[in-house]
Amino acid sequence: MSYLSTTDFTEDQPFVDRFERMLRGDLDLSWLDAPRERVTCRPENARRGLTFRDLDVGSYGFTDMPELIRENRSFAPRGAAMPEGLPDLQAEVNRKSEVWAYNVEGYYEEAMTRQWNATTDIPWAELQSVELPEDIGKAYAQLLTFLTEVEMIATDVPAKWMGRLNADFFEVKNFIATQAMDEARHAEIFRKRALSTGWGLMRASAQNEFNLKFLRDADSFAEASLALHLQAEGMVLTLFRFSEYISPTEGDKKLFRLVMQDEARHVGYGMQHLKWVLDHFPERREAIHHHLDEAENFVFGGGYATEVLEPFIILSGKGLKKENIAEGVRITNAFQLKQADEYFERLAKCGLPERRERSRLWKMIDLRKQTMAA
Amino acid sequence: MAYYAEKNFFEDQQLIELVTNILSGNLTLEWYTAEGGRVRARPSDPRRGLTYEDCNLGPYGYDAIPEFVRNRYSMAARGSVLVSKLPDLGYTINRRSDVWSDNVVALYEEAKARRWAPAVDVPWAELTAGDSVREAAMAQLCTFLEEVALVAMEMPSKWVFSINQEFLELKSFLCAQMIDEARHVEAWRKRALTSGHGLGRASASAEQALKELLSAETYPEASLGTNLLLGSFVLAMCRAIAALAETRADRLLATLAMQDVARSVAYGVGHMRYHLAHQPGKAVALAEYLDRTEHVVLGIAGSPEFLEPVVILAAGSVDRDRLAAGSRFARRWYASALEEYFERAAAVGLPRRERSRLPRLDV
Repeated sequence: MSYLSTTDFTEDQPFVDRFERMLRGDLDLSWLDAPRERVTCRPENARRGLTFRDLDVGSYGFTDMPELIRENRSFAPRGAAMPEGLPDLQAEVNRKSEVWAYNVEGYYEEAMTRQWNATTDIPWAELQSVELPEDIGKAYAQLLTFLTEVEMIATDVPAKWMGRLNADFFEVKNFIATQAMDEARHAEIFRKRALSTGWGLMRASAQNEFNLKFLRDADSFAEASLALHLQAEGMVLTLFRFSEYISPTEGDKKLFRLVMQDEARHVGYGMQHLKWVLDHFPERREAIHHHLDEAENFVFGGGYATEVLEPFIILSGKGLKKENIAEGVRITNAFQLKQADEYFERLAKCGLPERRERSRLWKMIDLRKQTMAA
Repeated sequence: MAYYAEKNFFEDQQLIELVTNILSGNLTLEWYTAEGGRVRARPSDPRRGLTYEDCNLGPYGYDAIPEFVRNRYSMAARGSVLVSKLPDLGYTINRRSDVWSDNVVALYEEAKARRWAPAVDVPWAELTAGDSVREAAMAQLCTFLEEVALVAMEMPSKWVFSINQEFLELKSFLCAQMIDEARHVEAWRKRALTSGHGLGRASASAEQALKELLSAETYPEASLGTNLLLGSFVLAMCRAIAALAETRADRLLATLAMQDVARSVAYGVGHMRYHLAHQPGKAVALAEYLDRTEHVVLGIAGSPEFLEPVVILAAGSVDRDRLAAGSRFARRWYASALEEYFERAAAVGLPRRERSRLPRLDV
């Protein structure tokens, strides 16, 4: 048996007696006297409604939250009076800079207001009227199979960490909850689209699954976030943008635009988190580089995933003929270079400009650029 | 780092040759002949869009998920063609009837369709802060509900990582539960902090009880404890707040929260039905779980941090005569919440009326 409450309430006679007294109108009202900071929060901008930023006041706010959470180890809402007897929830992450991000409260609010519905927000009936040629249909179904496969990792990984974070970081926990829902929606929309192409799902990707396992097994939230939000989702964001460009129909372009806005938010959190870590916990810099060394090794190994690279070439070139493939290769080359450039640019903006010098991935990309130029 | 790639790919000549070849236009097309089965999902009702039910087709459908998922431990999409060397991602919940419910697909679709955003969907500007004891009671009640929602948000997050990816629709529903509860954490906190009283006091008894619920050892126990048992009482709490609300904002807040919680309760009921229909032998163990765990709702619903504010909100003041009227409301509330829980438990095959140690009240 796991945790048992310190008392069995049905056998706790003083508790039962008090329960019955309350139900006779005999109240103790000691909670009314609990010391508290009296505040009245109001929407600063009526059109935006009441946001978490409007609640950033005194002991209730996130600005004054200390770097180390030493007092609250329970589910007591931040700023609430804490009586004796609160349990220890065994939170493993109690340092703000291990989870916090600039503007996390903004990302959360944006996520809540920009939820969309994969069932109704795509013109499914319209998509049915477009018959894709075999080469495009199969290539698209294969790309969608890959996307279906990878999306839920970004649910599982943050969800794994949610319960390990101190409850005082509830804005981060709430953001994680929105991300979990975003990713469920992405897995749903890619699956539905694959099943509506007429080709069904195609081949799973072992190479990509190794990468997913790496993401699942990170040792710390900061490492998990670095590899997931910034590196993996950052690269997927570029992939979505190009996928919108090469999409076979207008409905598909809309699909990619919707997932892109969610993905951009996740990448935004990842970037602002890394920035926060480097600003407030600089001794982690070396650990970050070590984690990226291995993360980039997996990225480079992604070359074995022909079930991603080749459909992308076919979709980009719009077919399997020689001239189509040549055009597809040209666009795919541009996409891959852009993907790498954006990744290193994001790292530099977060305060890790030296990554380019250290990275073997960067060296390989640089080599490829030189070869292409020659 | 716990997991490393099988090799240093930067020094893998075979990989470099493969990619160079493909980018020279020589595609392998190994994947081109892989087909999991040709289907074409179509919206059965275009007004509803393309639902998961419309995608319940052949090997891709959730009807095709076997009771025991033995050969799929990766994140490969259900129905896709498996290849060799797919890694084991470490799922520990691989039995369908441990998690499934016949209504889970519809509940997931409903969750998306009924999304709301506390920041903008509650008319916060209509609320007026004040020194009244009523507002103080509301602040305390919302502090309590924020505490409960934090736990309700963690429960699905704790399990989703361990559940096999084959149960995609179920995992998606757990994600919907997470965002629902995040919304409740937000909404109750915002309501408390508009009261003019700040947050109230955390509840030691409720938190002890919630920690016991959160620590359930198996997913069926966790779902029974959180969705059906706790959910029944939280649903009744939201209904009480809606009934006692004096403003449109409070009524809306409570009813919006209520519709989210009702989904969790509906899943809890459906899940237990499915679980016990497929694993009838588990009824004994789950009844014993309730024998030892049911007391937690007394620690939650009987905590002064919840019950006293309810009495005051129903009374409208702390005058002795009015408190008597408020306490009658609270008695009726507890009795009907308990009754509803007993009815749900009986409906899933776990009769509790005779067996439960929870106190009964004459109302």
